[in-house]
Amino acid sequence: MYELAITLILISLGYFFGRRAEKKHYKSIIAREKIMNSLPAMASRMPPQDGNYDQVLVSGSVVIANDYFKMFVAGLRNLFGGQMSSYETLLDRARREAVLRMKDEAKLLGASAVFNVKYETSNISGQTKKKMPAIEVHAYGTALTKV
Amino acid sequence: MNYENPHIPEGINTSKEHPLKEFAILLIGSVVLILILSTVLGASAGWLAGKIPFDAENKIAAIYDIDEDVDDKSSPELTHYLQSLTDKISKAQNLPKDMKITAHYINSDTVNAFATLGGHIFIFRGLLEKLPNENTLVTLLGHEIAHVKFRHPIKSLGRGIVVSIAISAITGSTDTKILGDAGLLTVLKFGRDMEQQSDEEAMNTLHALYGHLNGGAELFNIFHNMRTEMNIAEPAEMFSTHPLDKKRIANFKQVANKKGWQETGELTPLPIFFQAALSSSPPSEAYSID
Repeated sequence: MYELAITLILISLGYFFGRRAEKKHYKSIIAREKIMNSLPAMASRMPPQDGNYDQVLVSGSVVIANDYFKMFVAGLRNLFGGQMSSYETLLDRARREAVLRMKDEAKLLGASAVFNVKYETSNISGQTKKKMPAIEVHAYGTALTKV
Repeated sequence: MNYENPHIPEGINTSKEHPLKEFAILLIGSVVLILILSTVLGASAGWLAGKIPFDAENKIAAIYDIDEDVDDKSSPELTHYLQSLTDKISKAQNLPKDMKITAHYINSDTVNAFATLGGHIFIFRGLLEKLPNENTLVTLLGHEIAHVKFRHPIKSLGRGIVVSIAISAITGSTDTKILGDAGLLTVLKFGRDMEQQSDEEAMNTLHALYGHLNGGAELFNIFHNMRTEMNIAEPAEMFSTHPLDKKRIANFKQVANKKGWQETGELTPLPIFFQAALSSSPPSEAYSID
């Protein structure tokens, strides 16, 4: 019974704090994305041909921890298969935050756009099964500053 | 050329469903899955375990050194009496020839008795002290012997092993206690069916030996009184291995009515040395409870 109670407490703590953090994060991401729209990040490898540009590698990375609620739901989801929606928001937040940080760096350089943007995602909890996973998303690209 | 990152609406890369809804569906689904699996697997494992020859069960039981934990030698007269009653009951219950029941006496205050692998039954002093007559003692022994007769110990063992293996295979580890407990509930439920089966066989024995059922229901009264005395509430029926005390007493009446057996009749007293043997034997240290 004690284990059940502890698990329930962990799940509710994970739910309330995880959800609060997520809402706060999304609010901040949406606000900052609006500002950063002026500095586009493109997947294209072809730079604009309308002049000369300085090219600098810029990158942004973020590590976001999982919470117990998400982990528990994902564990149950593993039994049945299907969309693991509890991790979808986690990765979505991480990707968008990484791009924002990359754009911050580009902005400091006075760049007008970032080209050839790529993502790397890695699990940094190591190989131990028991540990709560935390993910790192790394976004990088070529910042173009008009000469 | 124009480059831009337009504002993309939210909810394309994430699911709009409330996380608690997914949690509820998955939790209910997995509990149902585990209950079904452990019921089916448990029942089939129990059925298979029942086919294990008693001889093989004896070999499993031989792993345990029973003599170390019992007080048979310090109370030879009592043990002899319990054993002779046990043999009488074994005969009345038509046990197979190779199924030898051994009664053991444990000098402890615990009010309990139990049957285990290899036809060993254990009776605690605490319970023996409370027995008013031989009829009640026969009901108790008949109940425990019936467990062995119906192969309940080996069935429970087989069932428990298979269910716990299945659950650890599903959850991927043995430390997922929350799901492991769901398996226990079904195991306990089967245990209760077994108790009922043994209760009925004990009634048959009582009738076969004395011609009436008087003194039998007294056994459940003893357990009931003990719980009241010690202020222990009966466990909720779902979590208990035994049927509720009142239900067992009612069941006794029901069987008596159905079979037309008398509930009144002359009670056979316990032999004179019985209480003396109980009080004279000093409690062994290993089992003494203060």
